[in-house]
Amino acid sequence: MRLLTHNMLSSNIKGVINGFPLRIEADNVVVKQVDFNPDFLKNMFSKIDWKALAEASKIMGYPELPDETPDHSILDSDDFLQKFHHALLELHLEEGALVCPETGRRFPVNKGIPNMLLHEDEV
Amino acid sequence: MKKIITKRSSNLSSPPNPSPDCSSSVQSTPEIEKKYVHRVYDAIAPHFSATRFAKWPKVSTFLNNLQPGSIVLDAGCGNGKYLGLNPNCFFIGCDISAPLIQICSDRGHEVLVADAVNLPYRSGYGDAAISIAVLHHLSTEHRRKKAIDELVRVVKKGGHVLITVWAVEQEDGSLVNKWTPLTRKYVEEWIGPGSPRVRGSSSSGTLESIPETEVSVSGKEVEGFGNVGQGDVKDCVVGSGNGDKKVEGFGNVGQGEVKDCVVGSENGDKKDKKDKQQEYFVPWHLPYHRAEVSGASAGAVENGLARKDDMKGAIVYDRYYHVFGAGELERLVSGMKNAVIVDQFYDKSNWCVILEKTSC
Repeated sequence: MRLLTHNMLSSNIKGVINGFPLRIEADNVVVKQVDFNPDFLKNMFSKIDWKALAEASKIMGYPELPDETPDHSILDSDDFLQKFHHALLELHLEEGALVCPETGRRFPVNKGIPNMLLHEDEV
Repeated sequence: MKKIITKRSSNLSSPPNPSPDCSSSVQSTPEIEKKYVHRVYDAIAPHFSATRFAKWPKVSTFLNNLQPGSIVLDAGCGNGKYLGLNPNCFFIGCDISAPLIQICSDRGHEVLVADAVNLPYRSGYGDAAISIAVLHHLSTEHRRKKAIDELVRVVKKGGHVLITVWAVEQEDGSLVNKWTPLTRKYVEEWIGPGSPRVRGSSSSGTLESIPETEVSVSGKEVEGFGNVGQGDVKDCVVGSGNGDKKVEGFGNVGQGEVKDCVVGSENGDKKDKKDKQQEYFVPWHLPYHRAEVSGASAGAVENGLARKDDMKGAIVYDRYYHVFGAGELERLVSGMKNAVIVDQFYDKSNWCVILEKTSC
């Protein structure tokens, strides 16, 4: 699971008011190289929740992103784009869990695949 | 011989079903979907995936027209055929079948295991969503509506959703003859544990057609009904694709004794029945050599989930479908306050709509 995906995921358990962001438990993180595409990154920048990305990136072992949401002008910096690219697309959570921020319920991640299915009593 | 009680509510071993509006009843997976959608796709995943490669032009056009940098959510992505089709977009696929998702993941796609009726995505962050040949596997109208609501929820204002489903009106009419019609009288009851089941050709009680050679029903326990005597086949669902009034496997049953029994071809006129008929089991033939590789099929045959067809050299699985009639998709979305239809069409035996989200 890449952090771009993590940025889209929310706990959907019945009764949860705000299930985002899911807290990451990272047991095994793998880096997989992806072609650098600055236009794609610039499009993504406005869509993502920056703080969630920065925090998740730290947990995944890559603390290079600024904590606070950078100004749009930072997109001119190639250095920034490279770091953004690495965190957003190249870090993969292979084994671990995504934890609901309100209930503590763990959604397991195995072989890079999160299982977000709920039990009968959670729907 | 113990007679079963005819009132349906007394037959259920579970508490009365919740009202269809109750969200928990919408999101709990009905038994028919667990047995005839989820478990089947899990069992046939590699073979299914090997046969799913042709990309439907209408879907390709929709995806290729998206803005570069779009986030596309494919709910019910199957083997991931459409993931990454537009290289300028970021696709996230989800499916309820873990084996199919594993196949997607092995191909490098970004995927997760999730339920189309309850998507684990934040609201309004997708640029587009697609649901290709998915909704027809949902067994109640409430679930189908909920799945559409979810598709619209997860896209942004102005975002588009493409939905395709199998049509009642098939271009190749002869194909429908290979399907087993079910009746939907009791479909609404198939939610949660204790769902009514009918004894089929095996002891586990399946909903498949009952072959002529099978043993009689007398004295055997039918889940949720208690003991069923010969001829007392009430409150059951039997699919029989060939128009016979004789209920195969039960011997001769008088017409009066089966009046509460929902038989697929009970009314006789095959053509009329087909016009109204929307619930089907559609067979999937898994060749023996593939079945051996997966290992799951021996157990499936024992449990009555599948049957052997020596003539075809395949294990046959039934998949549940609710095929859509003309205007049905349109009717489902017409009441939505936050989406409008921007395109609708019939193509290659599928009904299709494109929705646009109008407000959050």
